[in-house]
Amino acid sequence: MSRIELDSVTKRFPDGTTAVRALDLRVGDGELLVLVGPSGCGKTTALRMIAGLEAVTSGTISIDGVVVNDVEPRHRDIAMVFQSYALYPHLSVYENMAFSLRYRGARKSEIQARVAEAARILELEPYLRRKPRELSGGQRQRVAMGRAIVRQPRAFLMDEPLSNLDAKLRVQMRAEIAQLQRSLGTTTVYVTHDQTEAMTLGTRVAVLSGGVLQQVAPPTELYRRPANLFVAGFIGSPPMNLIDARLERGDGGPLVVFGPHRLRVPPSVLAGHSGLDRYLGEPVVVGIRPEHLADAALAGAPPAGPAGGPAPGGPAAGESVIELPISLREELGSEVHLHATIGAAAHAGAAGDGDDVRSLATIVARADPRSRIAEGTIARLVVDAAELHFFDPATGASIRDG
Amino acid sequence: MAAHPGRRPLGPRLRRHVWAWALFAIMIVIAVVMLYPFWYMADNAFRSPGQFDRQSGHSLAGWSELFANLPVASQMLNSTLVCAAAIAIILVVSTSSGFAFAKLRFRGSGTVFLLVVSALMVPLQSIIIPEYVNLAKLGLTNSYAGAVLVYAALGTPFATFLMATYYRGISDELIEAAIIDGLGYERTFLRIALPLSLPAIATVTVLQFIQIWDDLLVGLLFLPPGQRTITAGLATLSAGRTTSIPALMAGSLISAVPAIVVYLIFQRHLVKGLTLGMGR
Ligand SMILES: Nc1ncnc2c1ncn2[C@@H]1O[C@H](COP(=O)(O)OP(=O)(O)OP(=O)(O)O)[C@@H](O)[C@H]1O
Ligand SMILES: [Mg+2]
Repeated sequence: MSRIELDSVTKRFPDGTTAVRALDLRVGDGELLVLVGPSGCGKTTALRMIAGLEAVTSGTISIDGVVVNDVEPRHRDIAMVFQSYALYPHLSVYENMAFSLRYRGARKSEIQARVAEAARILELEPYLRRKPRELSGGQRQRVAMGRAIVRQPRAFLMDEPLSNLDAKLRVQMRAEIAQLQRSLGTTTVYVTHDQTEAMTLGTRVAVLSGGVLQQVAPPTELYRRPANLFVAGFIGSPPMNLIDARLERGDGGPLVVFGPHRLRVPPSVLAGHSGLDRYLGEPVVVGIRPEHLADAALAGAPPAGPAGGPAPGGPAAGESVIELPISLREELGSEVHLHATIGAAAHAGAAGDGDDVRSLATIVARADPRSRIAEGTIARLVVDAAELHFFDPATGASIRDG
Repeated sequence: MAAHPGRRPLGPRLRRHVWAWALFAIMIVIAVVMLYPFWYMADNAFRSPGQFDRQSGHSLAGWSELFANLPVASQMLNSTLVCAAAIAIILVVSTSSGFAFAKLRFRGSGTVFLLVVSALMVPLQSIIIPEYVNLAKLGLTNSYAGAVLVYAALGTPFATFLMATYYRGISDELIEAAIIDGLGYERTFLRIALPLSLPAIATVTVLQFIQIWDDLLVGLLFLPPGQRTITAGLATLSAGRTTSIPALMAGSLISAVPAIVVYLIFQRHLVKGLTLGMGR
């Protein structure tokens, strides 16, 4: 049981690559912290520095308040689960799990007891005599976990432990890891590039981009209050729609204007984003989560009867509904994704990723499967304006309080 | 028209068949060319000189002449001792240094490795005289130790190169897993790298065994007559003591057996070792 603290940790490789830049991170006792970010953002490097496999260029790493910068990996008492599992191919499952204890001078009876316990928890008992190559991917993954837990280390480090498994097994193992971690209560740093995995596993999630920490927060906080454009675009699937817009003064309050569309910013949003005042008449990036765009025919309808009637008492309907041509309708069963072309520039390069869809002037709505909006038609979509996000186009930072 | 599409898929299959048979025939020719000398040696080892001239009849005359002129048993033992000692040195040096070159980060590792590999290109004949002078100054000529050291020095560069290449094929994560599991680099080498490199070790052993066992130059130059290896002994045999070809054939046959045995023992690992490290 222990705390891990990173203070302004920087890693520069001999070739000049700065993989991690001034990283501050605190992992609490028993916490499962997920480190997430796109490929090449420095997640593995950060983890390897905690493990002691990579030297720190500057800054300090401490475990339980003791600086471990110069402590050898084997004396840090940390277990690591590698992406490739790195099982010893010439040793049996039992030997793989017993390996570390053996070299730490544990008694034979103790080793047997601990391996048996781990094998029981991980349901590996039938395979103890087998070699790693005689196991399936999921079983190997379990052995890698078992090798970590028999040690009862101060902390677990896991580098994309599920990325070699197929989708279904990944979901299953994800739940098992979460459960295991909770019952053992061992401090864990878990690395993944999969934001869904990050959101479902972490008590807190740290988002990394280009070696720089973007935000650390519990999953819901990350989702509801992303600190900047990167986090907004990275967390959530399909990702948040980010549109270059202008904030303009309207009769009943500020309006978000993009292309021919105008959206009223409700007073509740203004109250929560006092910083918005300074952007009146200025460009902003507005963010709309796909689930906050709904089929107007379904959304406004139920109490008022047939569609089209102005919703009484709500915000001025004309300024929360936008009409967009639908270019694609994707059926997912529980929901449909409507891809719509907007008559304005999408905010380009928000997430810094080349393969980002947002460079196309398209936004995605996550609609009720009962929606009858078809491809090639013009759809009326209601925007839940209370859930709008605003970002400074220059810095990318979220606009909140002045 | 109708027959045409039916015939088309048959073409490539037929061509593959023909190709396979042609390959088979070529292999048989190669096998005959390779094996004929062996058969010739085995056949003529069991003749007397007269029978050899006539190429008919068999006897053990060649063998008795061989044993009368050459201390076969003790020379076989000499060969075995020299081989075993030299290979032991080569393996100890090449596995540990190969591991270091492949998996440890240290200053000058690339340069030193390059130096070691460049030693591969120096032919024995060009350094044999300086080598002799060196060993003479150390007082190591006329003893097993001198020959063993020369063989070890000659074999180590290639063995190191082969081991380093092999260890590079072992994933870094595996080594790091052992480090994190609490082993130092020494024990990681002994417990993880070494057992995993058995195929490469087998390869080095077989190649070096054949090379050292068959070597003539070092054996003749650095070993006194009483400690000669079987290969050197056979050379002296033909150089005067007897001209009996059956006796020479018998000697060659007996000296070829250990190499064949070693090869057969390690053969299974050998193929794996030569192809491993070329991707997975
Ligand atoms: N030994 C090294 N020498 C030089 N640069 C390196 C080294 N290791 C990693 N890098 C660089 O550091 C950056 C971060 O690498 P890292 O492996 O930490 O990324 P990652 O976030 O784990 O990515 P992925 O999700 O693809 O595993 C990359 O740009 C990478 O090229
Ligand atoms: Mg990585």
